[in-house]
Amino acid sequence: MLTVLYDSNCALCRKARSWLQDQPKFVEMEFVAAGSLEARRLFPDLDHAATLRDLTVIGGGGEVYQRAKAWVMCLWALREYRETALKLSTPETMPLARRIIAWVSRHRLWLSSAIESVGLQGRS
Amino acid sequence: MSVDFLVVTYCFYLVISISLTIWVARTLFRNGRVFLVDVFHGNAALADSVNRLLVVGFYLINLGYVSLALKLGYDVTSARGSIEALSQKVGVVLLVLGGMHFFNLYVFSRIRRRSVLEVAPPPVVPDACVARAR
Repeated sequence: MLTVLYDSNCALCRKARSWLQDQPKFVEMEFVAAGSLEARRLFPDLDHAATLRDLTVIGGGGEVYQRAKAWVMCLWALREYRETALKLSTPETMPLARRIIAWVSRHRLWLSSAIESVGLQGRS
Repeated sequence: MSVDFLVVTYCFYLVISISLTIWVARTLFRNGRVFLVDVFHGNAALADSVNRLLVVGFYLINLGYVSLALKLGYDVTSARGSIEALSQKVGVVLLVLGGMHFFNLYVFSRIRRRSVLEVAPPPVVPDACVARAR
């Protein structure tokens, strides 16, 4: 079982969460808003400020995965994407994945508003 | 009495094609078992059953093709013509068998990859460890 602490204030993260939720899984996942009371209650010793900056995944035994590692763990839990996770986590590909995910994470609010404005235009 | 070269060609075609099909199917059957036993986590009975079913499919498709491709469409009047027609027909059968064989290998490796993925441990090491309340 994996606990995913995601940023509930960002539309991109909410989209990612609902996508993850719909995928067939090898490992069950629960989603908790990062920095929320529920998150603080579940993991009193965790640095919650950090979980608001980057995606955090916590394993059943309390293992904390952050940034690119958290994304790899999410993919690893999915039936259709475990192979992708294994390919992504090799020493050759992990640095690139880390850079891309860091960029997306830094610009997620801007990306979210971009997606939302495109979505609004598409709807009208 | 004149020899009907066409019928002789057909007979040779059938004997060669069917023997080749049996040979490839038996090779597949013998060597595919190891894969399947591994895939089904040592359940030999299930592996044997799936193996047999795969081989039956292999026989049906190949013998079906051999049967459909029998007709030559032109008359053969000499031994030379017979050998040429035969080599062309058997050549195509060999290519079809080869294609089917590789397709079977692909199916085996795909089944195996699935089962390997199912038990793959997390590919990254955790950054830290925390206690979970509850």
